Amino acid sequence: MAHPTQLGFQDAASPVMEELLHFHDHALMIVFLISTLVLYIIIAMVSTKLTNKYILDSQEIEIVWTILPAVILVLIALPSLRILYLMDEINDPHLTIKAMGHQWYWSYEYTDYEDLGFDSYMVPTQDLAPGQFRLLETDHRMVVPMESPIRILVSAEDVLHSWAVPSLGMKMDAVPGRLNQTAFIASRPGLFYGQCSEICGANHSFMPIVVEAVPLEHFENWSSLMLEDA
Amino acid sequence: MLASRALVRGLQSGFWRRVSTSSAAWVAHTHDVDVVDCSVPQYNNRLDTPLPDVPFVRNLSVEQKKLKENEKGSWTQLTKEEKLALYRLTHELSYAEMRQGSKEWMTVLGGVFIFLGFTGLLVWWQRVYVYGDVPHTLSQESVAQQTQRMIDMRVNPVHGFSNKWDYEKKQWK
Repeated sequence: MAHPTQLGFQDAASPVMEELLHFHDHALMIVFLISTLVLYIIIAMVSTKLTNKYILDSQEIEIVWTILPAVILVLIALPSLRILYLMDEINDPHLTIKAMGHQWYWSYEYTDYEDLGFDSYMVPTQDLAPGQFRLLETDHRMVVPMESPIRILVSAEDVLHSWAVPSLGMKMDAVPGRLNQTAFIASRPGLFYGQCSEICGANHSFMPIVVEAVPLEHFENWSSLMLEDA
Repeated sequence: MLASRALVRGLQSGFWRRVSTSSAAWVAHTHDVDVVDCSVPQYNNRLDTPLPDVPFVRNLSVEQKKLKENEKGSWTQLTKEEKLALYRLTHELSYAEMRQGSKEWMTVLGGVFIFLGFTGLLVWWQRVYVYGDVPHTLSQESVAQQTQRMIDMRVNPVHGFSNKWDYEKKQWK
């Protein structure tokens, strides 16, 4: 989760998010270089003592400032497309979970082996236990085994929602009548928080997502317990 | 109704126009100038035209004509005052005069600060008289409990939050 006043990305909890962080560093560096150059040129133009400032024709600089931006764009596009295709790779998941968006909660279905399904409502502020995070905690978390490829099928039962967990680098729109597929591997155990990312009504801000990545034995214990409770 | 319209016109012409126009625009607009014919070459004070199309003083007096005759001779024999007078015949403003700005920026900056301050007052009044209580999770005790939980669950352990906590010494790095 983000700490208060955090401006940058959260640390990556999946390999894809690590790639995205590196790409963001690369693109942002290019942006800073260009912005610095433009700022320098603006200051130089404003503060010059020269009187004849209006040169109307120069072929060489025109060639340079046409070719150079094209090169820079290619340098941005190549890593970008690489990551795009990386995210789409067939990854032979160990587990498939369906995340269904409702107004205003998520429900998760683990139907690979048994029929396990449960709803995940936000914990209201007045019911929070000491140390819990306001507007982020849920009564039931989506537990997944760590270091395993997981497929998530995202859909919605009523209006548009969006299932997003920033530290896993994931966001997928939940469209009624449509199955959207995404996948991740949780590199480390822990709790990863997210919030609904498509406006869906009055309580759009109050339907968070919590992914709990645990070792496989813990996941197996949890799913047995959940099946017994159901 | 006619009286209120008269009042509005009076305010506009007597007060609002002067206040809402920058000094430069006011001078340009109200300065007494002859009707300008733009179809013939004009004099202009511009940094990038050292020699405007026409000299500033078109109709020379007798003395000025004599000065112009002197100019046809050797320039080393002209006095400093004559050279300056010749310059002022062909140019209205020198480069230094063209480059100097006005003091308008102080008025603008002052106005900006006044309005920022006023907005600050409004925001503060709103905070005191309109907003309700903050949630209980913002109390110091609750924030401490949440921070401890974030450290325990290793939130952002690579470069972020938990990276700054020393787990051996149990203190911030």
